[in-house]
Amino acid sequence: MLLSSVIIVLREVLEAALLFSVLIALSKQMGLNSRWIIWSLLLGVLGAFTYGMNINNVSEWFDGVGQEVSNALMQLTIYFMLVVFMLMLYHFSCKQKVSKFPLSLIMIMIILLAITREGAEIILYFFSVTHSQNYYMAVLVGMTIGASIGISIGILFYYLLSNLKPERSIFIGLVLLLLVSAGMISQASLLLIQADWLPSQLPLWDTSELLSEKSVTGQLLYALLGYEATPTAIQAGLYLLGLIFPISIIMGLKFTYTRKKILSDRPTKQ
Amino acid sequence: MNAAMINKTSFFILRVTIIIFICQSIVYAATPVIDIEIRNHLFIPSEIVIPENTKVKLVIHNHDETDEEFESYELNREKVIIGQRKGIIFIGPLPAGEYPFFGEFFPKTAQGKVIVK
Repeated sequence: MLLSSVIIVLREVLEAALLFSVLIALSKQMGLNSRWIIWSLLLGVLGAFTYGMNINNVSEWFDGVGQEVSNALMQLTIYFMLVVFMLMLYHFSCKQKVSKFPLSLIMIMIILLAITREGAEIILYFFSVTHSQNYYMAVLVGMTIGASIGISIGILFYYLLSNLKPERSIFIGLVLLLLVSAGMISQASLLLIQADWLPSQLPLWDTSELLSEKSVTGQLLYALLGYEATPTAIQAGLYLLGLIFPISIIMGLKFTYTRKKILSDRPTKQ
Repeated sequence: MNAAMINKTSFFILRVTIIIFICQSIVYAATPVIDIEIRNHLFIPSEIVIPENTKVKLVIHNHDETDEEFESYELNREKVIIGQRKGIIFIGPLPAGEYPFFGEFFPKTAQGKVIVK
């Protein structure tokens, strides 16, 4: 019981912790105070409880695939919020002014949804497993260990990012968020395939021999970039689209900024 | 338009409708349903056999009071099955092989596999 509770909690916490640490590190670079962190944590825990307690109703929606659809919807919302955040981050890195209130709001939304999704599962797990009293202590210890490992990896990530030069940490942060966000798209598409809302196909390839999703590296890569050993063509295609979409907007912004700069640098005729 | 032509057209429409109905029923028939029960943190049956390259609808009935999470890395599936409720999961099409699944909340006992032939 102890080991399985370590693993289940670690898996859920890791994903949210990585995202959280990258956002905290970047928000510090952008000169934001830490009030948004407390808000997102509070609202996230509240969201997780609400979602967890109502999961039996949610499951009944859409002919029994309500869980998949609402989880996919949350992942998609996180994706679009991340895209907006990345654009604001890019805007900031080009020495442009970024208004802080919408920025905090977007980050709160991202973390709130991430904690709601992952936290609800932990809550359901806790209530299921502690249903019989004899597991209580082992589960509690296991969950604490799992959460601590996940949070530690998040803190490690935070310090790795914070100790870089600002430009470099923004660039690496941007790349990480890009990968995480595309991973969200891949997970959302998988859920919609599971619900039969997207067509199911034979897997495009199978790399489970090379790198199993069960391995530690596999789990880390799953949390970081949505690694799947056996994706279908639709899933892989949507993942690629999820990568290309923000990159192309950023490229467009870059083009606009460069042109603006050239225009303003040009000496004006007297 | 003469009567014979109208007759011909309506006959054509009827034929198309029948063909559409047949095709649809084939599509529906192509999604077999398999029931799995969860009792005392065990999957019953713990092994199911499904045909190759076919989408299958799994209906998982959880008879326990506790929730369980159906999870499989090989099938790429993950879903919470609430206690004393049922849950639907679509799997496949899959190439032949063995695909283990487990209950993430009670992995010691809740183990099973899908055999694709």
